[in-house]
Amino acid sequence: MTVIILERVPVSVRGELTRWMLEIHTGVFVGSLSALVRDLLWEHVCDQMREGAGFLIYQTNNEQGFALRSCGPTSRKLVQVEGLFLVRIPS
Amino acid sequence: MPIRDLHILPKVRDSWSYLYVEHAVIEQDDKAIAIFDKEGKTPVPCAALSLLMLGPGTKITHSAIKTLAENGCLVAWSGEEAVRFYAVGMGETRSSANLLRQAAMHSDPELRLRVVRRMYELRFPEQLDPGLSIKQIRGKEGVRVRETYAKWSRETGVKWSGRFYKQNDWRRAEPINRALSAANSCLYGVVHAAIVAAGYSPALGFIHTGKMLSFVYDVADLYKAEIAIPVAFRCTAAGENRLESRVRHLCRDTIREQRLLGRIIEDLERLFASEGLDRREAELFDRFYARPGGLWDPDEGEVAGGINYAGDEEEDDNA
Repeated sequence: MTVIILERVPVSVRGELTRWMLEIHTGVFVGSLSALVRDLLWEHVCDQMREGAGFLIYQTNNEQGFALRSCGPTSRKLVQVEGLFLVRIPS
Repeated sequence: MPIRDLHILPKVRDSWSYLYVEHAVIEQDDKAIAIFDKEGKTPVPCAALSLLMLGPGTKITHSAIKTLAENGCLVAWSGEEAVRFYAVGMGETRSSANLLRQAAMHSDPELRLRVVRRMYELRFPEQLDPGLSIKQIRGKEGVRVRETYAKWSRETGVKWSGRFYKQNDWRRAEPINRALSAANSCLYGVVHAAIVAAGYSPALGFIHTGKMLSFVYDVADLYKAEIAIPVAFRCTAAGENRLESRVRHLCRDTIREQRLLGRIIEDLERLFASEGLDRREAELFDRFYARPGGLWDPDEGEVAGGINYAGDEEEDDNA
């Protein structure tokens, strides 16, 4: 399963994503994509998002069962502590 | 939020292994545990975590410790690579069935010997000759450990001249020994957390004896050759930069690959032959936190607790 969360991105980016995934809430997409398709699609979204920001979450075989990536000025920052993903809320 | 039904906590096998924190403040924040540093705050999913390792320069509050204990997360204060102190809650079961079984097998020399044999058997791929005495098995184990170190030294090219961890020994500063200490800290901590979570005692060791963590050393030795030793040699071979941190990262991946958190619990059940035991009573204690335990009776074994056994004349407040 893959989840993409986007904020402040051009409408066309969201529209395009709905060809691959379901938009269950504004800017929240869910789908199941192969690793290759997921990476290419995320790369494409990051290229097109302008001032926007977003997170990519996908299932993978690590301790937490998922991995996270972020792109653009997201309000919360991803931190990886020795292989464990956590989220920092800047003060 | 006090946890009333322990089933809400993830099982050990589904948990995340550990998190190491230094130079930060850990506080309770909006019912969550969060790490505060100059950058901001980072919430920690403590119910999903088995072990929180606090390094130098950390401060932690009373309410944070309380929440960690309630959520079955072991807290370990570690200094210069060595763990100094552990704090645990009540584990993740309210039933003492496993502990009582461990104590019974510990105090019966024949059963204890059976557990010791099983512990050694788990480490050798081949069947152990039933005629071997414990002394002979100990010798075999010594050879196995020596060969493991030698093998990883050959494979990684890291020189190995023995384990030194005396604090005043200058050779302690050898990178490979520092890496081993860091890897062992992670392994011991995770094993300790699993032992407590499943309701066993860390002190009642079968091979090791006499210390408060004897059983942790017993169980950690089952996995050292697959986890701590290879990780330490590989990380040392890659250089000295951020050595301990890289060890902790590779340890996490190796613990995952080896399915350690699932295996510990299975191995403990096998050691004490407790598979298939009637767990209904234990289940009830875990689901209903206020359920009273029984009272021991020399003839009946156990009578129901929470009942006043006084006749009409006497009053007894201790039922």
